[in-house]
Parts: sequence; structure tokens; C-alpha cells
Amino acid sequence: MSKIYGGHLAAKYLKEVEHVDMVFTLSGGHIENILDGLTEYKIKTIDVRHEQVAAMMAHAWSVYTNKPGVCLVTAGPGFTNALTGIVNAHLENVPLVVLCGRHPLRDDLKGALQEMNQIDMVKPVTKWCATCYETKRIPEYLSIAFRQATMGRPGPVFLELPPDILFEEVDEKTVVIPKRRTHKTVTQPGKNELEEAARLINQAKKPIFLGGSGVGMSGCGDILEKFIEKTGVPISLVNYGRGVLSDNHPLSVNGGGFTGLNAGLPVVDVIIAAGVRFNWLLQCGQLFPDAKVIRIDIDPHEIDRNRHADVGLAGDVGQVLGQLLPLVEKRDHSPWLKSFKNAYSAFMTSELEKRKTPSDPIHPIRLVEQIMTVFGDDAFYVADGGDTSYYGLSGFASKHQGGVQTPAGGLLGCLGTGIPFALAAKLAHPDKPVIVLQGDGSFGFNGMEFDTAIRHNIPIICIINNDCAWGMIKHSQEVSLGANRLTCSELGMRHYEKVVEGLGGYGELVTIDAEIIPAIKRAVASGKPACINVMTDPTVTSPATVFFYQSFSEL
Amino acid sequence: MRLSILLFALYQLVWISSKTNRAFKKFISKAKVRFLIKTEDGKYARLFVFDQGRVSTATGPDHAFDAALVWKDPKIAFSVMLKKNQVAVFNAAAEGKLKIEGMSVFALWFDKATSHIL
Ligand SMILES: Cc1ncc(C[n+]2csc(CCOP(=O)(O)OP(=O)(O)O)c2C)c(N)n1
Repeated sequence: MSKIYGGHLAAKYLKEVEHVDMVFTLSGGHIENILDGLTEYKIKTIDVRHEQVAAMMAHAWSVYTNKPGVCLVTAGPGFTNALTGIVNAHLENVPLVVLCGRHPLRDDLKGALQEMNQIDMVKPVTKWCATCYETKRIPEYLSIAFRQATMGRPGPVFLELPPDILFEEVDEKTVVIPKRRTHKTVTQPGKNELEEAARLINQAKKPIFLGGSGVGMSGCGDILEKFIEKTGVPISLVNYGRGVLSDNHPLSVNGGGFTGLNAGLPVVDVIIAAGVRFNWLLQCGQLFPDAKVIRIDIDPHEIDRNRHADVGLAGDVGQVLGQLLPLVEKRDHSPWLKSFKNAYSAFMTSELEKRKTPSDPIHPIRLVEQIMTVFGDDAFYVADGGDTSYYGLSGFASKHQGGVQTPAGGLLGCLGTGIPFALAAKLAHPDKPVIVLQGDGSFGFNGMEFDTAIRHNIPIICIINNDCAWGMIKHSQEVSLGANRLTCSELGMRHYEKVVEGLGGYGELVTIDAEIIPAIKRAVASGKPACINVMTDPTVTSPATVFFYQSFSEL
Repeated sequence: MRLSILLFALYQLVWISSKTNRAFKKFISKAKVRFLIKTEDGKYARLFVFDQGRVSTATGPDHAFDAALVWKDPKIAFSVMLKKNQVAVFNAAAEGKLKIEGMSVFALWFDKATSHIL
């Protein structure tokens, strides 16, 4: 009779059924047996220095690999620390699988170490959550967790595994291992809706395709390319959809970024909005009052949210585009595309000039341009911060799916997500350069993860846009409160590069424009996780801050 | 000439509305924005200054600004601005007759602000 521990059984299921090859974690006594199981079944563990990073890295892993990311945290504080990352995944509909320790069932209500009601706390921010009470049923619960995370509209799931069942041994023969389901979804739009959508697309004079995370999660690059090239519709890809078609594709208008969308959306006549929500970032769909809207979304409830859709196509983006493809006609919208690009370039006159002009003090826009000069579009970029996120989003371009990410620009607006995303990007794409442009304020949240980078040899390059402040907040306060009443928004000059050096990485301070590129090259040559601390102009702010401030000042 | 009059009239309207139009007053009450409208040659130029509810103006092209609408020539500026429609502005930009210096988000703000009074 061969026996297996509950913790090992969990690992066996992860490896053999779900083919999980990496788990993001931070250790704890309650979860020791699963950790040991991960060793047994040769699943790589990336152990971090704060549980929020385990959740954020697993989240990012889903973004970069299109597979559900798994994180494992211990009971109590491990759980509460991970909560921010879970909420972030919830708001972004990411298939994050959280496995969590729990106080022993035996000790319920006795005042056990780390005893708390985790389930009630996590319920509102997960798609599914449960506690497993029986060792034999661990695979069954895990199977439900993975199905819930990935099927239909994805989302985070939470499975609590008490030590009583993890440390218990059962006869392996008595365990039923469920089969893995791989189908995506069967939700499909009706034929007449598809025909109506095709009619609008065929008649459009000034159309745009706006794709979001649903495009990324659908993994529909090939069909999207065919669709765009046949219809000739200019395309903008945002969130986790960014890069499914290269930012440098001739039909892409991503070069205009936020400014381009603000300039162009009010005049388009047809919007094909695929896997993208009309939330505050898109002014709840009010930016294009006169356009006909075709919405493609895996969640039918999303279709009319905030903005009536003229045609709603419920389904996976790739599948729907596949159905639309034979119905749409070949078109050439190049004059419209040219107008679009000309218009946003005219709206970005100063920004485009700043990119090209050496600056003293260094302008963040120029910093981004210099980074792009070194790495080009064959790299993964992440930006994290307030103003910093804007600069990264508008200045970086990549040909890879998820190649430009600003996770702090998501609905949770959570600073500190940059380093976890960059680490996950590098693990997923070890042969590509991964650069994180980091606000100095936001570096403070997860800067300690350079220890993780060094222990696991994950050579990311972190470039700090150091304005010695919580810039976005400071610049808002300058307007609202006055420059003489700034509160809690200033930071000092700090040698973050020395922190990274102290942890065993490469560090360099840059204060002049001409040194940016040589410093980056030295960082790359070091082969180590690196931090280049670039002192930038503390007086400049970004349109994102203005936009953000305005949305509050109207209250 | 016609453009100068239009810009002057626009300022007058902004000023009166800053005293009388409740929605406009609320909209500008927290904003600090310096918005310049000028022609490329600088012959026509007017600055609109919004300072947390107060408005003021200045003529001439050489003022610091948050955003500036820079028109290729006064005729186009006059006809597009009179239309007060986003498509016309977009087309002017697309045809190289208009550019925005500084941050265009302030131009959008100005557009939204004036939509309360025009
Ligand atoms: C976790 C978290 N805490 C606080 C905030 C509020 N916040 C938004 S932007 C910002 C300033 C960011 O400063 P920095 O990282 O230095 O970037 P910068 O704006 O200077 O580019 C703060 C504190 C937030 N969004 N997330």
C-alpha cells in the first residue's frame, strides 16, 4: 500500500494534472508539507520576501504565460499580506490560484496561532473560495479551483488547506485524481448579431479596434492579425492585450498612447471594443458619444456596462473574431489611419520633442526614450509609479504580448506591482531583456525583492525615475493645497542603487543625460539584477496627474 | 483681426461666466491652468489664466503655458474655433494646421470648461 501526505498529494496534482512548473511562495509552518511536496514533484519554487509579491508574481505569470499562476502562502499574516495581490487579480479578472495555510481544524475557536476567518475575508474578492476538509479530496478541490479560475471570465480563486489534512497520510489508491478540462468556453454570439457587427464594420469610415486584457487572455494573435489586416481597421491594444499584435504593426495607433486615444476616440464612427471594460480609464465609455459600438466580451453582463452597445457579441475574443472574419470585407483605411496618427502627433508635439532632446535635469520622457534606444521593441517593459506609469506607457513599445505593462495603472491602482511583474516577466522570458521603470516612491514597496532576484538569479534591470517625491501626489497637491502646504508627498534623495548593491546586485547613480545609455549598458554587461537610480526633473508632471486631479476636482 | 475679436469675445464670455454661471464656476473652482491660443507667427495670441475660480487674460505669444493651441493661420483658427466641434479640431490637427504644445490634456480641459458656456 503506497501512502501519500496531503501536501504531497496537492503537489502531485499540480504537477501531473495542471502541469504547474512554478509556484510563488513564502514559507510557513502551516504549509511545510506542501512545500516539501513541491520539492518531491520538482515544481520550482520562487520564494519572495513579502506575500503580496507572491500573489502579484503569480498574477503576472498568468499575464506573461497565459497559464494560471499559483501562489502558496501561510496562514494569518501570510494570508493578509497576500490580500492586496488577490484584490488586484480580482479587479483585473486574472486566473490566480491562491493556496493558503490555515490554523488546524482541530484547534478551531481555541485561540490557535494565526487563527482567523480567512474565507469570509477573501470571499468578496475572489471568484471562488473554499476550505478543504479531507486529504483524499485535495485533488478534487484543486481541480474545481483551476476550473473556476480559468473558465468563462477568469478570476482569482482561494483554497484553504488546513495542516490536519496536509500532514495526514492516505492510501494513494483511495484517491481519485480528476481529469483536466481544457475547453475554453462555448458562449457564442447569435448569427444575426455577427452579421450586424460585420455590416457596421464594412460600412465604417473611421473605425478603431480597441482591445484589452480579453485579447491577451484569449491568446488570439493569429486570428487578430488576419482580422485587422483584412478589415484595415487601426488598432489600439491596452492592458494585458498590449503586444498581442506588435506595437509597431503598421495599423497600430499605440504610439499615441493615452493622448492618442483621447484625441481619436471622440471622432471615430465605429469602435470594436474587444475584451476591454469601459471603466474610468476609458471615461466609462463617454469619450465617444457618437460612435457605433460593437462589444466583444466573454462576460455577457459586461456588454452594456456604462455604455449601450449597438451590437454585443458574447464570447471569447479569438473565437468571435474567427466567426466574424468570413463576414467582413477587405478594406483599406490608410487615409484615416494617417489622419489619426497625424492628429495625435500634433497633440503630442512637446512630448515628441522632449524625447529627442537631451535634458538637464533629465526629463522622464527623455529617460524612457534613451531606454528604448538601448533595448528597442524586442524586450519586456514594466512601469510602476504615478507619473512614471504614464511615461512608461506612452514611451515604451514592444513586439511581445504583455511587452509593455503598467500594473499600477489597473483598477486597484496599486503601486509596488512593478518589480513583481518584472520578475515574473524575466522568469517567463529569460532570454529577453526585462526593464522596470520605477517611481522612487513605489520602489519602497517591494524593493526588497531584489533579494529574491539575486537568490534566484533573475537579472531584471530596474531604472528609477527619481524625483525625490511621491510625484503624482505632490504635483496634485501643488495645485490643490499650494506648494507651501505639501503634505506627506515629499521624499529625500536616496541611494536606492546602493540598496541593490548591498543585496548583491549591480547599482549605479545617473545624474546627467549622456550617462543614461552607458550606465544601462554596464548594467546589462554585469549580468546581475541591476538598479540604475536616475535623478530626474522634480518639477515635471504628466498628463495622467492632470487627468487624475481633474477627475477629483470636479467632485 | 477677426481672430483677435473672437479670442477677446471668448475671454469676455469666460470672465462673465466665472461670475454668473454656476456649472462653469464649479468646474473651474479648483483648477490652475494657463491656456494659450495663438497663431504660429505669434501675431495673434491670447492667454487664458484660470486660478482656482479667478480668471484673467493677457495678449501676446510669449507667456508660460500649460497648453497652447498653435494655429497655422488665423483664418483656419477662426473657422474651426467658431464651429466648436471636435471633428473640425481633429481634422485641423491631422492636416497640419494645428498643433498643441505643452500637455494636450489641458486643451481637453479647456474644451470641457467652455462647453459649459458655449
Ligand atoms: C499601494 C498604494 N499606495 C498609495 C497610492 C497612492 N498614490 C498614487 S500615485 C502615488 C505617488 C507615486 O510616486 P512614485 O512611485 O514616486 O511615482 P511618480 O508619481 O513620482 O512617478 C501615490 C502615493 C497607491 N496608488 N497605491
